[in-house]
Amino acid sequence: MALPLFLSVLLIAACGLIYELVASALASYLLGDSVTQFSTVIGTYLFAMGVGSWLSRYLSRGLVARFVTIELLVGLVGGFSSTILFLAFAYTGAFRLVLYLLVTVLGIFVGLEIPLLMRILKDRYAFKDVVANVLTFDYLGALAASLAFPILLVPKLGLVRSALLFGMINAAVALWSVWLFRSHLGARRVLGAACVAVLLFLSAGMVSANKLTNLAEDNIYSDEVIFARNTRYQRIVLTAWKDDLRLWLNSHLQFSSRDEYRYHEALVHPGLSARPSARRILVLGGGDGLAVRELLKHPAVESITLVDLDPEMTRLFSTHPTLVGLNQGSLKSAKVHVVNDDAFVWLDQHPDMFDFVVVDFPDPNNYGVGKLYTTAFYRLLSRHLSREGLVVVQATSPLFARQSYWCIAETMKQAGLHTYPYHLYVPSFGEWGFVLASLSDGRYTPPTTLPSGLRYLTVAEVPRMFEFSADMQPVPVEANRLNTQVLVRYYEQEWDRVNR
Amino acid sequence: MKNEGAEGEEGARSNTSRRTFLLAGGVTLVAAGVAAAAKLGRAPALLGLGRKSGPRISGGWVNESAAIGHRLRDRAPMPAPRRTVRVPVVIVGGGIAGLSAAWQLDRRGFRDFVLLEMERETGGNARGGENAVSRYPWAAHYVPVPGPRATLARELFRELGVLTDAGWDERTLCFAPQERLFVQGEWQSGLEAELMNSRTGRDELRRFADLIAERRASGEFTIPMALGAPAGSPLDRMSFADWLAANGLRSPAIRWYAEYGTRDDYGALARDTSAWAGVHYYASREAAEQGPLTWPEGNAWIARRLAARVRDRTVTGAPVHRIVRDGTKGWSVRAGDAEYRCEDVIFAAPTFLAPYVIEGARAPGFVYSPWLVANLTLDRRPDERGASPAWDNVLRSDAGLGYVVATHQSLRAREGGPTVWTYYCALANRDPVTERQVLLRSNWSDWVERIMMELEVAHPNIRRCVSHVDIFRIGHAMVRPTVGFLGADARRTREWAPRGIHLAHSDLTGFSLFEEAQYRGVAAADAVLATHQLG
Repeated sequence: MALPLFLSVLLIAACGLIYELVASALASYLLGDSVTQFSTVIGTYLFAMGVGSWLSRYLSRGLVARFVTIELLVGLVGGFSSTILFLAFAYTGAFRLVLYLLVTVLGIFVGLEIPLLMRILKDRYAFKDVVANVLTFDYLGALAASLAFPILLVPKLGLVRSALLFGMINAAVALWSVWLFRSHLGARRVLGAACVAVLLFLSAGMVSANKLTNLAEDNIYSDEVIFARNTRYQRIVLTAWKDDLRLWLNSHLQFSSRDEYRYHEALVHPGLSARPSARRILVLGGGDGLAVRELLKHPAVESITLVDLDPEMTRLFSTHPTLVGLNQGSLKSAKVHVVNDDAFVWLDQHPDMFDFVVVDFPDPNNYGVGKLYTTAFYRLLSRHLSREGLVVVQATSPLFARQSYWCIAETMKQAGLHTYPYHLYVPSFGEWGFVLASLSDGRYTPPTTLPSGLRYLTVAEVPRMFEFSADMQPVPVEANRLNTQVLVRYYEQEWDRVNR
Repeated sequence: MKNEGAEGEEGARSNTSRRTFLLAGGVTLVAAGVAAAAKLGRAPALLGLGRKSGPRISGGWVNESAAIGHRLRDRAPMPAPRRTVRVPVVIVGGGIAGLSAAWQLDRRGFRDFVLLEMERETGGNARGGENAVSRYPWAAHYVPVPGPRATLARELFRELGVLTDAGWDERTLCFAPQERLFVQGEWQSGLEAELMNSRTGRDELRRFADLIAERRASGEFTIPMALGAPAGSPLDRMSFADWLAANGLRSPAIRWYAEYGTRDDYGALARDTSAWAGVHYYASREAAEQGPLTWPEGNAWIARRLAARVRDRTVTGAPVHRIVRDGTKGWSVRAGDAEYRCEDVIFAAPTFLAPYVIEGARAPGFVYSPWLVANLTLDRRPDERGASPAWDNVLRSDAGLGYVVATHQSLRAREGGPTVWTYYCALANRDPVTERQVLLRSNWSDWVERIMMELEVAHPNIRRCVSHVDIFRIGHAMVRPTVGFLGADARRTREWAPRGIHLAHSDLTGFSLFEEAQYRGVAAADAVLATHQLG
């Protein structure tokens, strides 16, 4: 009986350390500043263990049953610790409170374990051997856990499942103890059943762990959040890590300041530089003002109308110093006229004509936004395009979402436009595609001059963007219509595959 | 714009998984919450927050006109005519049939007619309303995309600009997603969702589809039905429920699915519907384009355009109470204190009224389904889980048929603001006479409560979102194609109506459909044109 008992010490020690590491790692992942997170979490945890040890004196009778109960509690709380923390971060504003509360509770339970175990064992073995063995296996367990955590657990299982796995180990130790001490336990059936119930509950958590990670990722950013606001229309979040500023709308990355110049130069100049006489410009979406920044590099441009749904968005990018620095104050230019309205409705209600139109909407990931990628929308849009005008549409990734990309191109074609698809590589997005279009055929040739001071585009590069490698070639697709919205389905299927 | 490789989560779907997870992972929590809520619910006075303590809902009954009909039925004394109008043709009834008859006469160059409408507004079942939020339908709210054989409907839609050489107007075709079903605790896309969730369900759905396809191929199930239906089809001699059973379609899910059709189009249960009619619902639609055609105000969009064309010859608020012979050839139509002396009458009011109104007319055997239509004004969208909001939102229940969203055809990309839902309930569970009596005696607030309780299943906080509910009770909303009804069709118009009276209502076919009403109205107009040598 000796070895199994001391092995269980090793296991519970490993469990105790794992929970501590899970909480610290999660806190650094979610809040940044890992030194602070690790220090405060470990400190709180150790202190709570001390509280637990101190409290152990008040437990006097039925020590084995108490020990089993505590194991089960540790298994439950520890096992679901990362689940609770993820959810707390994603859905409450009180993440830190939950974090330290959880660490304290867990620490107290874990602190009770060793003193109780030593007292159970002291009547069976010499006290010096008990102390020596318990502490030896305790430290061995800690070593095993601290090595397994970064090498095996985090990469293979992730934080949610690692915690759940160790919760199951706690419960298994409890079950094992019930069996080992079966002759000394009165309520062994009840305790045994409780152990099995906890094991089942934790396994259920294991099975649904995937869903949890998916939903938690939705709300979690790896970098420090420097701005977050829920507007009427969306959740705007800005994160920063070193010199990399990122904008997220409803958890979807909109740009990274490190490579957005690639995206926006490619969005604007291949089209606009081919129409040096274009004077009236329309931008749909693009409330970050970055496309407008590129448009303003063309001196012939007289007026830019920017239609973005969200007033908070255009206000933020007109006033926030860092963001104004990024778009070079483009939204405050005298040439720029900002309208906050729904693009489809605005086009439907205004007669204005334009020489160049930039369509930069969020990806078609729901039926609402999907309306802005339909034949009906492009037909309406083409009625606002002057005879020699061009329109450019951001069209998702021709590599990751090949059907979606070519569906957008096909939709524009069926709306009567003549299309010129092109693409480029944006490190933070991957391979990305646009579709340029004119009212009549053959009205586009790549420009021979570009504005000076571009960081990505060259005259030689532009024609190359219109070449598609074999894995991005057109695929047969249906056009996207208001009554079918096939694009939303293509998009969902394709990005699901990428994310798997 | 854009999406990072690792972040391409679809909004609505991730929402689903979020809820599913919470449900799976937090069973105990939910159970505890439910228990706590139940306790709170039992002590509303104590806490002052009972379940129903949302803001008060305003509203009431609308379009009440049963009293006029009941005066006719009871042969109440009517005013004697004080003035006489001579006009060759009188159209009685300004629903789709009457308006279509007027449309046909007018576009054939025959302008000498008067259209008499009992209500303040023409449109009949294709009436609509409007408030600060949206226009909305009062009954009929869509037309299936007309197939190649529905030539009259196609002609009208060409005239109205809905059909052009480029095809059907994209803004009129119902936007995706069209339908969803609330079943097994969440919204799922498509009315087949429940069947699709199980192997037996999929099997049954496939067999049902095969049976329907076979029937469709027979060419017998057409819209308008007069083009295809043979009078003595054996299918018309059994009920739809018996037909389903005879074909081994027995699971509750497939029965519900099939019966949804009879409730939707006839306001009747499968056991009260001719199998021919039950099959017709599914076999008659020739889906060349994803439809249907719909407008915020439903078919009132069509009715108002038809009405605008003949407004100068329309008299509203003119209930016709008597049509009697006038000399050897003519007729005298009495409405209010006016008498219209004419040669031909197009009777486009519900046919069951004919014996009460027209001298010498008979109309036995008509059964009409009562309906209740409620328009709910919502300040904001209520909570829900599952598939994205659709145009037609059906709850898997035997009560209402669900609701249609009036703002669904909005071009806006982000729809979250106020809206109007049109809630439909076919009162089909008891016999129509009993249902009508109960409906007439019921009160508005009980109905609001019933509707809220039904919708609460899918939208827990619906009471806090609804600010206004108007309810329209329609005693004789739809003719019911009972077993054997269609076989009698061929005799009806010829035998029942005396010379010079042209019956035109859609109830003659047993189908309360736009296309049938239009077809009958136009056919009656053609008969009139023939006698006036102008065809």
